[in-house]
Amino acid sequence: MNAPIFGDKLTVKPGGASMSGDVAALKGRLLKSIGRSIYVYRVDCGGCNGCEIEIFAAITPIFDAERFGIKVVPSPRHADILLYTGAVTRSMRMPALRAYEAAPDPKIVVSYGACGCSGGIFHDLYCVWGGTDKIVPVDVYIPGCPPTPQATIYGFAMALGLLDQKLKETTHVEGVDEAAPLIHPDVPYGLRIALERRAREMAGYRQGRALSEEFLAALAANEATNAGLRIDQMIAKEEDPRRAEIFSQLRAVFTGALAQDPT
Amino acid sequence: MFKLLKEVLRVGEATHKYPFAPAEVCKDFRGKPEHHADRCIACAACTIACPANALSMSTDVKAGTRTWSIFYGQCVFCGRCEEVCPTNAITLTPEFEMAVGRKEDLITRAVFKLANCRSCGTPFASAKEVDYVARVLGAYAQSPEEAERIRRHAEICPECKRKRDVEQIAQTAVAKQMEIR
Repeated sequence: MNAPIFGDKLTVKPGGASMSGDVAALKGRLLKSIGRSIYVYRVDCGGCNGCEIEIFAAITPIFDAERFGIKVVPSPRHADILLYTGAVTRSMRMPALRAYEAAPDPKIVVSYGACGCSGGIFHDLYCVWGGTDKIVPVDVYIPGCPPTPQATIYGFAMALGLLDQKLKETTHVEGVDEAAPLIHPDVPYGLRIALERRAREMAGYRQGRALSEEFLAALAANEATNAGLRIDQMIAKEEDPRRAEIFSQLRAVFTGALAQDPT
Repeated sequence: MFKLLKEVLRVGEATHKYPFAPAEVCKDFRGKPEHHADRCIACAACTIACPANALSMSTDVKAGTRTWSIFYGQCVFCGRCEEVCPTNAITLTPEFEMAVGRKEDLITRAVFKLANCRSCGTPFASAKEVDYVARVLGAYAQSPEEAERIRRHAEICPECKRKRDVEQIAQTAVAKQMEIR
């Protein structure tokens, strides 16, 4: 019971008794000459159910994955595609392997969601294996937390060879004399920080940054008119009262800074 | 039957056209984080903020490089990196088509040069970060000489700065004592 467990010894390696033929060739032929709907069996390896909700959203009439013949089936013995969600908890490892063995060859394994791809936010938890590829060979990874129904459809289309992969591994190497540009160099640094801080207090971090950027853009706009006047016009034009309130608060910060240092 | 057909015609087609037409995403949709390496100063704020450790930074002192990397397979699209980035170098885009066949394709890297300390020669930060700090502080300088002095001060590692400060304090303390006597 307490014997040490070695991850690589428990992994299912492609090329066993059930994979005597060339798996890749078989899979290619499966996709070309399947001549019927693609059956998907969903294996939940300890996910939070967010992925399941999105999978079922993807097969509703709004997104309708069944247009492409993608059907969710209740048994791995009918499945062409195995869809693994969740970070593979210790107790779900065996059922996940049984589902993999039960599915007829050739089968396509799709790793779904951030947890399926790598363990996601649970990657270093003591009770998870951290990703589907630690226990079974995976053909397609669909990242997202959870992936939206559109991302799900895109992933399926990629698994079936209908659409091409967009993301590629890239490495940027710093060029000679590469320098990070200053943000709004015309606005004093202290004022910019004060504005950002106030906007984030009012609107939360992400929208706060967006709102302060909008405000700073109006402030830094190189026009003949007075900056204060320009901002007052922007506040007057604003239709959303919440945004107008935040902008007027930022205006107060700007006025305060102006009173202290009129440059 | 006629009633049903009438209803069908009234409702129309509810199914989204995607993937045959571009998908519409709502405003503030958090999709693939896009890294603009030219704006990045390799300060590692995002790697500390990232709750899923999708962002990571590794330093290779021998090669004199600092490598920033993102693994999209681990990202939970929370936007914390965008929040903390001081130079707006990482932003979440509406891009969601990220499925890949090879896991390595989910990784994006950026390699930056390390800056050596002026005083002791050990690498202590990325060259771009030092340059950025010198320019931000230099904007407050009254003269080009002062800006140059600020730049030289920024190019010293924290350890050497501490030593210099202690030396300066010791000197001024001695001078003060001499004055009192």
